[in-house]
Amino acid sequence: MSLDPKTLTERLIGVGMLVVAVLAPSLFNEFWLDAILTQTLIFGIAAASLIFLNAYGGMISLAQTALMGVAGYALGNMVSQGGAGGESKGLALGWDPTTALIVAIVVTTIVGFVFGAVSSRSYGIYFLMLTLTFGVTANLFFGSVTKLGGFSPIAGIDRRTPGFVGDVVNDRERLYYIALVSAVVAYFLIRYLTRTPFGLSLRGIRDEPLRMASLGYAVPLHRMLAFAFAGLLAGVAGVLAAWWNGQISPSDLGLVATINLLVMAVIGGLARIEGAWLGAFAFIVINNEVTNRIPSDGLWYVGGTFNTVVGLVFLAIVVISPDGLMGIWERIWSFARRRGGPPALTVEVAEPAAGAPSS
Amino acid sequence: MKRRRWKFLLPLALLLAGSTFATSGALATTEQSVVKIAVVTDCKGAFAFGYELDIGGANAAFAQFAGGTPNNKKKPSAGITGATAGGADLTFTGYGCGDDTPGTMLKEIRRLMVQQDADVMLGPLSGDEAVATANWAKSHPDKTVIIGTAASQDPTMQIAPKNLFRYYGDGAQWNAGIGEIVYKKWGWRKAAIIMDDYSFAWTSGAGIIVDFCASGGKITKRVFPPLNTTDYSSYVRQLPSPDDVDGYFWVIGGTGTDPAFKAFEQAYGPLKAKQHSGNLFLWFLTGAAVAPKLRGAYIGGFGIGPGLKTAAASKYRAVMKKWYPTIPAEDSFTLNYYRGAHALVLGLEKSKGQVGAALQKALPRVIDDPYQVASGGKVRLDSRRQAVQDQYAMQINPTGKFGIRTFGYVPNVDQTFGGSFAPNKPAPGRNFPPCVKKKLPWQGKIQAVVNGKITKQFIK
Repeated sequence: MSLDPKTLTERLIGVGMLVVAVLAPSLFNEFWLDAILTQTLIFGIAAASLIFLNAYGGMISLAQTALMGVAGYALGNMVSQGGAGGESKGLALGWDPTTALIVAIVVTTIVGFVFGAVSSRSYGIYFLMLTLTFGVTANLFFGSVTKLGGFSPIAGIDRRTPGFVGDVVNDRERLYYIALVSAVVAYFLIRYLTRTPFGLSLRGIRDEPLRMASLGYAVPLHRMLAFAFAGLLAGVAGVLAAWWNGQISPSDLGLVATINLLVMAVIGGLARIEGAWLGAFAFIVINNEVTNRIPSDGLWYVGGTFNTVVGLVFLAIVVISPDGLMGIWERIWSFARRRGGPPALTVEVAEPAAGAPSS
Repeated sequence: MKRRRWKFLLPLALLLAGSTFATSGALATTEQSVVKIAVVTDCKGAFAFGYELDIGGANAAFAQFAGGTPNNKKKPSAGITGATAGGADLTFTGYGCGDDTPGTMLKEIRRLMVQQDADVMLGPLSGDEAVATANWAKSHPDKTVIIGTAASQDPTMQIAPKNLFRYYGDGAQWNAGIGEIVYKKWGWRKAAIIMDDYSFAWTSGAGIIVDFCASGGKITKRVFPPLNTTDYSSYVRQLPSPDDVDGYFWVIGGTGTDPAFKAFEQAYGPLKAKQHSGNLFLWFLTGAAVAPKLRGAYIGGFGIGPGLKTAAASKYRAVMKKWYPTIPAEDSFTLNYYRGAHALVLGLEKSKGQVGAALQKALPRVIDDPYQVASGGKVRLDSRRQAVQDQYAMQINPTGKFGIRTFGYVPNVDQTFGGSFAPNKPAPGRNFPPCVKKKLPWQGKIQAVVNGKITKQFIK
């Protein structure tokens, strides 16, 4: 089988990125490794769950941040310990961290399934509004139910992790690699799932739900299961975010956080999974750099804070390329093809074994 | 061919330039030739009005005690230059901008304390931000945190990392004496309390509850509207009617104070000042429609005695007027950051510009304070690095210009309220503290303040 130049280039870039990611602790300082790259990997997973729903299910969900929060709150309430020197907020159940981790992800997946069940028969703007409602409800729920934390953060989540995770408070490289492995697994899991019969029928439902229903496919069930899978991914991201932050509070799943995740996905490109991490990286870097370079008390020209500048930068990206950064990549290739293109690179690779998913 | 090559080289060059811009901080190494300070407050959210006040207070202290020069006397956030302490130049890594949420505060802390590698943080402003900050400080013992003006109890009681200091009272301490005053002056025996459902309000309400109950009063109902509620009618309806209680304590802040009182009027008729008390949130009612109806009401303090006629208070007011004439000096948003910055300069002088553990050891445990009268005008830090400080109860001016006046003086209030609060007890919350009659150190010894002078008469 031969690979076209674009696929080959993408794979080479992918391998190169992975090599850089593996070597990152030696290449970047503490701040970049922890606050930029680890955060990128974590929010990239959550953005990937959003892109998965959109690209393969035709569903733009605003509930992914809420699902992250569900995982974080479940974990925080279960692992934190009360008493002297312990946590003053939340249930502080003091459960075994491994059990708490599993329960947190399972609970989030179930909540994702329930969200999916409620919204599975809605489409377009109605689906969007329903998922936004989930997000707002989750924020208000955790802010109002003070037994589960209230407005104050539940802290110390990073101090009680499972043995196989280890100390993520003092060893931030460890957390980085855990996030990296999780992101790689999430990426290949999505790629695998979209090539299974379930994934293919999901694509059919995305394009022609009525036709698929008339062919006998259980359309709502497919959408529910897709939402549950996206909930699983958001749950993993939520757990990682809770370890990374060390604490969880309602603002982590508020409207701003919800919009931020959507912006990450849009900047990266809603059509391709890779765009999730690209968008997350761009969002986090731009946010950080602009915050550092613009006075926080406002700008003379725009009269607002640095958020105005951040917004303008994102607006420019979306105007230049409605398909996000991945869209720019696609355009470069189509431009190159029209103009004769770069030298054709064709590499013969071995045929996959029978039964293996083909690319 | 040459033209085509440029078409690929140009985007490549742009990409490289962008990457260099983005990673300019990534590969840089840091130097420790100066002391880097991050002043962190809120420029967004409910307390954004405190932004210039906080920075003004901090800068005034850096100008007064470390020889700095404000860049703009009308706008503190324009910065300050030339400050030195202990032989080290003080540089500021920018002013942190929170929005009263823990998430944004953590983001700002990472940016200022990790990326820009500040050695000391002076802030934050708000209660839950301080809880998040204290938890962060616990994991970063080499950094030093001096809380700005946040007043939740947890940071210096339950969490209490060794690298975190607070040079003023928490929200409960600010309310020392107010329960006893309404018990004695207006004969309250049964009262209800309505308070915002978050850390600071719980702490502030806890001070009122312990003080009132210690005198023999009963809290018959506690109601908790969520923060940022706009319609208080359903919460006010949960309160007992005026026939069933002697009065109400209000701990509803920001934009909620006025609508909460309006909802009360709609439910139970016109306000009667003798039936209402509360915490410092009632200071900010000036201009509100309900404000004139509360003239004469006794309310809790803010760790400051406005109008106090002492040499130290006058000196402080003069200092603020000298450096920032338009910034209100007698506002604890200003004063508490001033207190923290003053302590930091003294600590750096003692540590000879060293930071980390050396600075934490050198930071003063006893310090002069503009509004401290007891103990020779010196505020003392307890073993958890929390101030034991004089407090002042207030009264809304019964006549004349609407405003507040200093009414009562409570010397040396500590954070435990006679053992009501402790590291091994829960932080203030919906059900804690309980209402218990007990002896408090200042009980029966609250001194009247008349025209800014502390008298020897106890309030009866």
